[in-house]
Amino acid sequence: MRLRTCAVVLLLLGGGMGLRGETPEPPATPAAAVEPVPAPVSLTREELDSAARIDSLTIPSPGELMAALAKEARPNWQGQYRQPIPTTFASRAQIAMNIGGLIADGYIALEAADSQQVKNIGKDIITLAKSLAVSENVIARGNSIFEFAENNEWTALKEELEATQNEVKLALEEQRDGDLVWLVTLGGWVRGTEVVSGWIAGNYTPQAAKLLRQPAVVDLIRSRIRRLPERMQSDPLLKEVLEKIDEIERLVSFPEGATPTQEQVKELRDLTGQLVARIAEK
Amino acid sequence: MKPLLLLAGMLCLPGAINAAGEPAAPAPAPAESPSPAVSPSPTATPESGETTDASVAARASALEVAGAFSNDGFKTRDGHWIGPIRAKKPKVVQVNLYAGNQYWFIVAASDGAKKLAVSIHDEKGEPVEFHPYRDQGRAAAGFSPEISGPYYVRIEEEEGTPAVFCLLYSYK
Repeated sequence: MRLRTCAVVLLLLGGGMGLRGETPEPPATPAAAVEPVPAPVSLTREELDSAARIDSLTIPSPGELMAALAKEARPNWQGQYRQPIPTTFASRAQIAMNIGGLIADGYIALEAADSQQVKNIGKDIITLAKSLAVSENVIARGNSIFEFAENNEWTALKEELEATQNEVKLALEEQRDGDLVWLVTLGGWVRGTEVVSGWIAGNYTPQAAKLLRQPAVVDLIRSRIRRLPERMQSDPLLKEVLEKIDEIERLVSFPEGATPTQEQVKELRDLTGQLVARIAEK
Repeated sequence: MKPLLLLAGMLCLPGAINAAGEPAAPAPAPAESPSPAVSPSPTATPESGETTDASVAARASALEVAGAFSNDGFKTRDGHWIGPIRAKKPKVVQVNLYAGNQYWFIVAASDGAKKLAVSIHDEKGEPVEFHPYRDQGRAAAGFSPEISGPYYVRIEEEEGTPAVFCLLYSYK
């Protein structure tokens, strides 16, 4: 504790943090002259209300949640695999959600450092992307995934997986099918949350359970899905998805400082698990 | 181990400790070429809607800083936010962060923006402690949240003429 206090004092003297009004000295950078940074101010009500909320920045990647869990514990990622899902679906909305789910599966395989599984998932992503006719650039990304997996380049693979997901979304937007973009996001987020809550439910610690706090994520996904065209929202699957999302929101929207109980984490695991299974149902 | 951490904190070396006594995010070093895995995806360009030379330059500049962090194990997200910015007209974006992870938010701009600032705020809009970095029209903020949930990233052009900015982030 004493050392920790000393370290804080020394760092404040030598390193500086953004809150200080003085001239902080940032980390050593041999190449760059680092300039002083003024103390930040509180955001205004207007800034809070008008803050941008963007799919590819505001929604964390499944890899971020898994990285956070990996700091709390050593999950058995291979134990979180699921049976291969069908790769033919009649509805484009369902295909989009399953592509998102497969991207999350890819992150699980990466955490397990399982190159064969990464390749299997990459193949399924391409197959599904073909059925949305957005495969041209995705195939190129898929080839990179195979190559990186072959060489066990895990960091590059993580970035490539997200790039593949964005390539699918970009292609959807170019095809004027931008409505489906948020369904890809939804599929990935639900599958990632299922896996992480599943592991925490079976290996409960309060600290790990607190990771599941993501109120703004659910709120944003749900609000975007509610903007989908009426025709799409009348799809029975999407109706079920929206109902489940409302229930899931209750479990990930606990107050700052609160800790979900093990029972609540199990409920979240079950709800997200049911949703993932329903999305993959032919 | 603790004396080593203390020494690292004194020297402000990569892997040093922050004011909370937690491992601090590493310092940017001379950047290598950006990761080939990062695509030119314009999925987060709500304001510009199109890729321009200025947006490409801004993104390349931000990726150069991110490339330095990747040497320390940070993964750069493929998503980014590109748009117009002008002096004293800040931009704010909501992000969702997980406790235990370390993050660097990096902003760069096209010619015209002389000085940029980036800060991180909690869900009520109050500034949080972060590790600042600023250099030649680029800025970054390193942050390790203790609570999972929504945060806000505010970027501001403090000096300069209208420009195009690119915001992205790395995590580990």
